Amino acid sequence: MQGITRLQRALFSPFVTKTFSIFTTLLGISVFVFIVLRIIPGNTITGSFGIETGVLTPQQISELRHYYGIDQSLIMQYVSWIKSFLSGQLGYSFSTGVSVLKLTKSALPVTIELALIGTILGVIMGIAVGMFSARKPGSFRDFAGQLFGLLALAIPGFVLSTGIVTVMANVFHYFPNGFEYMTPWENPWMNFQQMMFPGLVLGIAVAAPVMRTTRSALLETVDKDFVRTAHGKGVPPRKVALKHVLRNSLIPIVTMTGIQFGYLLGGAVIVEKIFALPGMGRQVLDAITKREYATVQSTVMIFAILFVSVNVLTDLIYRKIDPRIKK
Amino acid sequence: MRLRKKIAVVGVTAALVAGVALVAPAQAASKDLVVGITLDIDKLDPQGATSFATVRALGLVYGSLVEVGPKLDVRPGLASSWRFNDAGTRLTLHIRKNVKFQDGTPFTPADVKASIERILDPATKAAARANIATIKSVTVAGWDVILDLTIPNVAILAALDGVNMAMLSAKDIKAGTIGKTVNGTGPFKFISWEPGQSVKLAKNATYWQKAPQLDTVTFRIIPSESSILSALNAGSVQFSVITDPLIAKQVGSNLTKYSTPSLAYMALQLNAKKAPLDNVNVRLAIQCAISRQEVVKTAQSGEGTVIGPITSPAYRSDINDRPCPTADIAKAKKYLDAAGYPNGLTIKSMVAPSQFATASAVAQSLKAQLAKAGITLDLELVDDSTFVSRWLAADFATAIANNGGRIDPDTMYTRYFTSTGNLNKVAGYSSPTLDALFAKGKSSGNVTTRKLAYKLISEELESNAVWVWLFSPYEYRVASKNLVGFVPLATGSLLELRKADLK
Repeated sequence: MQGITRLQRALFSPFVTKTFSIFTTLLGISVFVFIVLRIIPGNTITGSFGIETGVLTPQQISELRHYYGIDQSLIMQYVSWIKSFLSGQLGYSFSTGVSVLKLTKSALPVTIELALIGTILGVIMGIAVGMFSARKPGSFRDFAGQLFGLLALAIPGFVLSTGIVTVMANVFHYFPNGFEYMTPWENPWMNFQQMMFPGLVLGIAVAAPVMRTTRSALLETVDKDFVRTAHGKGVPPRKVALKHVLRNSLIPIVTMTGIQFGYLLGGAVIVEKIFALPGMGRQVLDAITKREYATVQSTVMIFAILFVSVNVLTDLIYRKIDPRIKK
Repeated sequence: MRLRKKIAVVGVTAALVAGVALVAPAQAASKDLVVGITLDIDKLDPQGATSFATVRALGLVYGSLVEVGPKLDVRPGLASSWRFNDAGTRLTLHIRKNVKFQDGTPFTPADVKASIERILDPATKAAARANIATIKSVTVAGWDVILDLTIPNVAILAALDGVNMAMLSAKDIKAGTIGKTVNGTGPFKFISWEPGQSVKLAKNATYWQKAPQLDTVTFRIIPSESSILSALNAGSVQFSVITDPLIAKQVGSNLTKYSTPSLAYMALQLNAKKAPLDNVNVRLAIQCAISRQEVVKTAQSGEGTVIGPITSPAYRSDINDRPCPTADIAKAKKYLDAAGYPNGLTIKSMVAPSQFATASAVAQSLKAQLAKAGITLDLELVDDSTFVSRWLAADFATAIANNGGRIDPDTMYTRYFTSTGNLNKVAGYSSPTLDALFAKGKSSGNVTTRKLAYKLISEELESNAVWVWLFSPYEYRVASKNLVGFVPLATGSLLELRKADLK
């Protein structure tokens, strides 16, 4: 009886349930993307040949279907792709003639760097403005802070990106993204210049919700007993704000940052397009247009894995911030 | 605190200035031209190339037997001269000597034979196969290549131009390396392709004409046209092709803009095989309710030319020779009455905003105009691949299409409007009259006879309101001021970069 209870406990332990939920989420996403891609009209042949597909004879189309592997049953196509994905090759891109792994190797670091810069800038701006606002609720500074949050939420990324690009190019004749993309290890200074503005655009998008969350979390914490005690004990106000109030308000801020990081991966698609960054967003967009099934499926899966990883990371950070969660 | 702020402001400004200063020297690199393109190339086999990006990039690397010049005249290319027999069933091409492939091997008539036979081989899936399908046999006689045709077809000469008719090395064809390695006779050599980022070419010092002045041409992928214009303004890109008239209007005096009327055209395709569009009166009502001038004015900011079915300059349709040269709502309503729809009707229209920069604006303009006649245009917005797939299956009532034009009406329309044409299902219309007229146009070597045939074809298409031909857009090439010697071609080819130089 005790053995069964132990087994049940093991089966329903947080680690096992979390792993199971991650696995089923990823499996669900892989099946969903696979099906959606096949439901929408068009296939790799129309994506590759365009209107010239009309020139192809039925025999040629049949040969091409075999070549692209779309003559197999849907189950076989799924199994074949998932095998390739799990083997690490991630499938094959017919239009470029290389494995999706090779494409991803050059595109993924770009998107991760962009998302990290966006997140870091967003968190710094969001927390700073949130603290600035929460210090005197209802005051002009609070109004200004909230206005920043509202504007940052309201201005679409593509408008801000286009505006920055146009002004910088027309007024300052400055558009470093027009040059060949440089990785941080090839040319760190050029990479910084190419990432600065897209990172800022994404950062502003992250800053708005982080700012609002920070403000409300701070206002809630600032009235707590331990804060009053700290003040009463004569702890300097800045130390109270950072060590007592901010630290105890971090959980909702971390949650919001984790969620925003996921959205950043999506937002990066349009920012990468306008700033000509060869990242994962462009990779998936091009692949959808060309109906490169393996590239789309693998790229979406990588996005999903990143999203799930950030969630796990967020959980781990909770434990660090609030030791009570460990229990 | 104030000092800190000052330091921060000075620091940011210095970084920005340093950024400008650091990126500036690269643009001064003399003979290296950077071309901004929105889409990546998608293959390395020139005979299978269909996307504009691939056609433009590989068009600088490969050569064809004839070339189409700035005035749309057919000029010698890798064939130095040619002659037809009197019946128009045999074309003899004299092949240019002393031409080399980029790997150093000589270009010979055997390469011409192998290249044409590769295009004709269905297994190649060559884009130009339908255009030269009348070639019965290819024979080599010394430095001549003889093309025997199944029917009289003088229109075939112009069909030998372009990257889809690229001349390949027989050795490469035999080795099966086409599409994997790049070896042409064009003015530039292929250096590298970084998928999603750039395609690099370098000048071919052994080019059969004068070697190019430019050392390298790099096609850099910048997916947004407005970002390309920014890169042109900043000097990080020196040349680009712009399709969006609104972006083209923003080109300042610091850049050179070449506006060339395109051979391509925008049309509202009507599927005459589907009710209610199988009723000619419904189609005529649609045609009469539309002011093409208004579409150009509102959707294109006035940038475009109203056209008839045939855009080929030598055979261009008369835009006044149609049932309603300008919008006539009263006449449109009469046609609707005659069709049995006195209270109007609703028709779906498929449009792919990604297919053409102003596609959505054109759709909205048409919708607003047709509403005045009681016709509701129900717009279905789809992505490019969905559009192509449904278009090929003729799975639409009407479609707003941006179709390519050719310098000869035969290669432009035979595949659409003859009963055996491979895109006839898409065109939705054919008739014995059209079949006979196309056969006449194809077979005659007499320009007057050909002009008459294409005039009658145009009349038949317009009087039956087969489609509503709207306008030809302009194609804009935008270049930095220091690019000299470039001549734009209406075919969209960038071949004349072979004569350009960066001063």
